[in-house]
Amino acid sequence: MSSSAATSEHVEATRTRGLHVPRGLPFVLPYLPFLIVFGIAPTIYALELAFTNVDGSWAGFDNFTRTYDDFRFIPAFKHILVYTVVWLGALMVFVVGLALLLHGRANRVSATYRFLFYIPGALAGAAAVVIWLFMLDPTVSPGAFLLRDLLGANIFAQSIAPGNLPYIFAMIAFWTGAGGWIVVMYGALNTIPPDLEEAARIDGAGPFTIAFRLKLPLIRKWIAYMLILSFALGTQLFVEPEIVQHASFGLVSDTWSTNQLAYQLAFRYADFNGAAAIAVDLLMIGLLGAVVIVTRSGLFRAED
Amino acid sequence: MKVEQRWLMLASVVAVAATTAALVAAATGGANSGKASGSITVWVDAVRLPVAKLYVKTHPRVKVNVVTYDGDGNGATTMQTKIQLWNRTGKGWPDVVFSEQANDPVWMSQPPFDFALNLKGVFPASLLTGWPAPSLAQCTVNGRLVCLQDNLAQEVLYVNKKLMGQFGYTVPKTWQEWAALGAKVAKEHPGYIIGNIGESFSHWLYLWPDRCPISQVVAPKTVRINSANVQCTRMAQLLDPLIKSGVVPPESVFTPSFAQKYGGDTDKILLMPGPTWYAKDIFGGTLKVPAGEMTAAMPLRWNNEAPTTGQVGGGPWIVSKHSKNVAAAIDFVKFATTSLAVKSKPGALSPGFPSYGPAATVWLKNLNKDPYFAAPPGAAMKAAAALVWKGWSMVTYPDQPVWSTAVVTQLVAGKSLSDQLPALGEGLSNNAKAAGYKVVNK
Repeated sequence: MSSSAATSEHVEATRTRGLHVPRGLPFVLPYLPFLIVFGIAPTIYALELAFTNVDGSWAGFDNFTRTYDDFRFIPAFKHILVYTVVWLGALMVFVVGLALLLHGRANRVSATYRFLFYIPGALAGAAAVVIWLFMLDPTVSPGAFLLRDLLGANIFAQSIAPGNLPYIFAMIAFWTGAGGWIVVMYGALNTIPPDLEEAARIDGAGPFTIAFRLKLPLIRKWIAYMLILSFALGTQLFVEPEIVQHASFGLVSDTWSTNQLAYQLAFRYADFNGAAAIAVDLLMIGLLGAVVIVTRSGLFRAED
Repeated sequence: MKVEQRWLMLASVVAVAATTAALVAAATGGANSGKASGSITVWVDAVRLPVAKLYVKTHPRVKVNVVTYDGDGNGATTMQTKIQLWNRTGKGWPDVVFSEQANDPVWMSQPPFDFALNLKGVFPASLLTGWPAPSLAQCTVNGRLVCLQDNLAQEVLYVNKKLMGQFGYTVPKTWQEWAALGAKVAKEHPGYIIGNIGESFSHWLYLWPDRCPISQVVAPKTVRINSANVQCTRMAQLLDPLIKSGVVPPESVFTPSFAQKYGGDTDKILLMPGPTWYAKDIFGGTLKVPAGEMTAAMPLRWNNEAPTTGQVGGGPWIVSKHSKNVAAAIDFVKFATTSLAVKSKPGALSPGFPSYGPAATVWLKNLNKDPYFAAPPGAAMKAAAALVWKGWSMVTYPDQPVWSTAVVTQLVAGKSLSDQLPALGEGLSNNAKAAGYKVVNK
């Protein structure tokens, strides 16, 4: 970020800001059509569906109250809430913690660990879940003793007992996503000028003080960025419960998560309007979460 | 529903046999071709694909466009999506659809899908008499015959004849005798089982045969759900001690751990209520029970009440009401369900008990000759076909997820079945209401 803008006069700042738009446009242009076609247009369509009836007439908030009264609505949101809290908590603590630990190590050691952490993330969504299906089956899992001792599970059906599910899905999501974020956080830590660290050390700061009082505040924006993306992703959980539901022959509800409920409403009950209402609910939650995190962390403030 | 998915495996294993059968049929099946011509589009699952291919081969005058899809529960969602899209665009409907889900024709015959053709008066009446009454009743929605079952999936009691003889037990005829034997097995031969209750369809194995009214359509769009009825509670009470003592474990035969614990290597399955398609496929294939041990006995009855049984699956054929070539579509269904070229032998072309009676007779004769079985299982299967209780109606919503999530997960956690019946009733009621049914108690 340019530090000259902050020191320059008001007139000049306004002028540079005015120039940002045409300069930035070519950079975002290749992405813009995709954003419109796959992002903005479906959102507008969902909004339109959510506020209309099957015949296209105005429905007001009817679709929202109707889906809210659905017997599956509250349980699905409860599941998602527990899942998101557990997952985001784990991401915050472990990703930042591990990145800070790695950053203090010699380069070769940390490179090896970064690679190791990243490997589980190389398995994309569904493939990772399929592997976890084996990991969670005590008869074939290499971690069978853990399943037996910690969860008291002797068969697959006991591993995926309803009470365990949010934690299991959070664990799957953590292991497939955390590695990538550790690498990103490590990159963020590398942007901290070494002389700052040096100065802190000379002032008598130990490794803990440097990590928590110096490095952590400086990568706050990256953490906020991670939380916003993960929060939206978490509330839209679909693949994990869907696959486990099929693999367990229905022991997991097919409307476990809110996104699954929207899917079922659309395709089993032909209720696209209700499904759109739930999608808009999720959009609002995602936006709200993002606004809170952005304002609290000052993500888009040019200078602190 | 996943229950027919393992037939995929079977289908590939016996692909060679299918080719041979097709060649034989090509020589003999031509007689069936009738006057059908023109072109039709047919949607089938992988198991029915050889049948469609055989039709193509033997009916050169009909141009058949065969499309395969997963005909199970996932397929049902696909089909629902597709039909809605076709309805919106006003074209593209297939002429014939096969589904593994016995309840699919119910939603297919009603708005917003409104897809199924009334086969009454269109399908040759002389052939319809070959279907057992319960099968036709199941395919009748609001007085219209909207499908024809490809195969019956009536339940029988599978018996390990070798083990029963070895232990000196007699085959039970009633649920009471079965439960008494279970108590004995738990003491004398712990580890052996007389059934299982961990399937997504276990309620069809135990509650349906006892005439438990939790899926009973009593008027159009009105379903009776009463899990507190004595027909439900008495069966739950009978099962509870058996589940607790481990002779009826809450596990599924489709899980690897089940085969490991009870399958051929340890050979611990003494008895097991199950549908006809379990036969050689599940016991010989999935569970690897050696040849010369298993057979089938009559389904269990409650004390000396009239015998009734349940059903698991039994996929239907549905003809589209939008079809422009109904003659060829009907000819195709006729071929798939009644022709001996398809239905005479247990195997890739006809893995399940044919629902068309005359074909079933030939099929049973061939099944009885199979050396896998310790004794011919055909007689019990045939008798059970007429015993499927008609009070368990097909509805537009799936009941398996409710049973699995409300009951099986709790049984796995060590709770009793009796305690879960209220939750089962509530879950089913919620789903019924969400699907637009009125729920009544009596």
